[in-house]
Amino acid sequence: MPEEFRYTDEELIARFQDGDEQAYVELVNRYRDRLMSFIFRFVNDMEKAEDIVQDTLMKLYTHRHFYRNIAKFSTWIYTIAGNLAKTELRRKKRHKVTHLSHMGTEEREYQLPSVEPETGETAQCHFAEKEIQKAIQELPLHFRTVVILRDIQELSYEEISKIVDVPLGTVKSRINRARLQLQQALKEFR
Amino acid sequence: MDRYQFEDLISDFIENKLSMHQRKDFETYLDENPEATQQLDSVKQVIASMKSMPEVSTSTDFMKNLNKRILAEKEAQSVVKTTRSFSGYTPIMASLSAVVVVAVVLLGLEFIPEASNQATFSPTMAEEHVDELPVVPTQTNDDLLAESENDSTNIDEDIPNTTDFKDRIQLVGDRRP
Repeated sequence: MPEEFRYTDEELIARFQDGDEQAYVELVNRYRDRLMSFIFRFVNDMEKAEDIVQDTLMKLYTHRHFYRNIAKFSTWIYTIAGNLAKTELRRKKRHKVTHLSHMGTEEREYQLPSVEPETGETAQCHFAEKEIQKAIQELPLHFRTVVILRDIQELSYEEISKIVDVPLGTVKSRINRARLQLQQALKEFR
Repeated sequence: MDRYQFEDLISDFIENKLSMHQRKDFETYLDENPEATQQLDSVKQVIASMKSMPEVSTSTDFMKNLNKRILAEKEAQSVVKTTRSFSGYTPIMASLSAVVVVAVVLLGLEFIPEASNQATFSPTMAEEHVDELPVVPTQTNDDLLAESENDSTNIDEDIPNTTDFKDRIQLVGDRRP
């Protein structure tokens, strides 16, 4: 069994709470890309998304003792990330005008999904991804969160219900409504 | 089943969460409404497209930046530990405060005895100043009695009793004139 799968997330956070910093590094390696995907689909800005993921993992470092082994670790970390993303979006909304002048000033190297030259099919796929991403941004926040967690992050309804802190039935209903809205938005594209 | 009921059940149908009875109703609706079948396929495509979206990775500097932040956090924590040792005071401030408090107490003790000599009286002080006490002439009881009988200030007998309101108050039902 590979080294990184010897411990569950809950065992790793317990070890980290006892002072094992290597366990923290392992948790970071397990979650940084997953969180990046979630946050990027949510805020639609690579730099902001990376900052939020960093903030989330810093919170994990500084607030490690706040985690109690009554919920899954993934639920806890996604809740932190989601809350930070929502705060960022509210801030972005308030300072939209000032942010426009700062767009793209800082360059970072991101690991792109593919470096192969785009064929007709991949270009179509990339275009589809852009269209879906655009349609996701049009969704209200409470729809956007749940549909990303379900259809992109592939979390269970139960876990999503705990992350967003709303009843299971509401989560199911919101996911269904979000899918219908996306289907409507992408109807012309198809 | 109407269109709204159909739309409410789309996700449950796709994820096989419907009961047998609901599933049967749903499929009947699909058979009767070709546009409903199209909508269902379209929603399935949306879900599949989202699932196949490529994972976004963090930048190559991510770990380096995170490590920097962690180091800064550790330094900040160590500064907090060394500077907040005594109930929020730095060691220097705590020492200075302690010196000031001791100095005030010592100065207070220096002044208190002198100021309180006149106000307090102790047996030892009485012994120390016994020579300075005024000499009181000795008198017998007979002398004191005679003195009080001749005392011109004893005027109690001449003053009428002003607290006797017997003749001044007339109660209800009192028929006195």
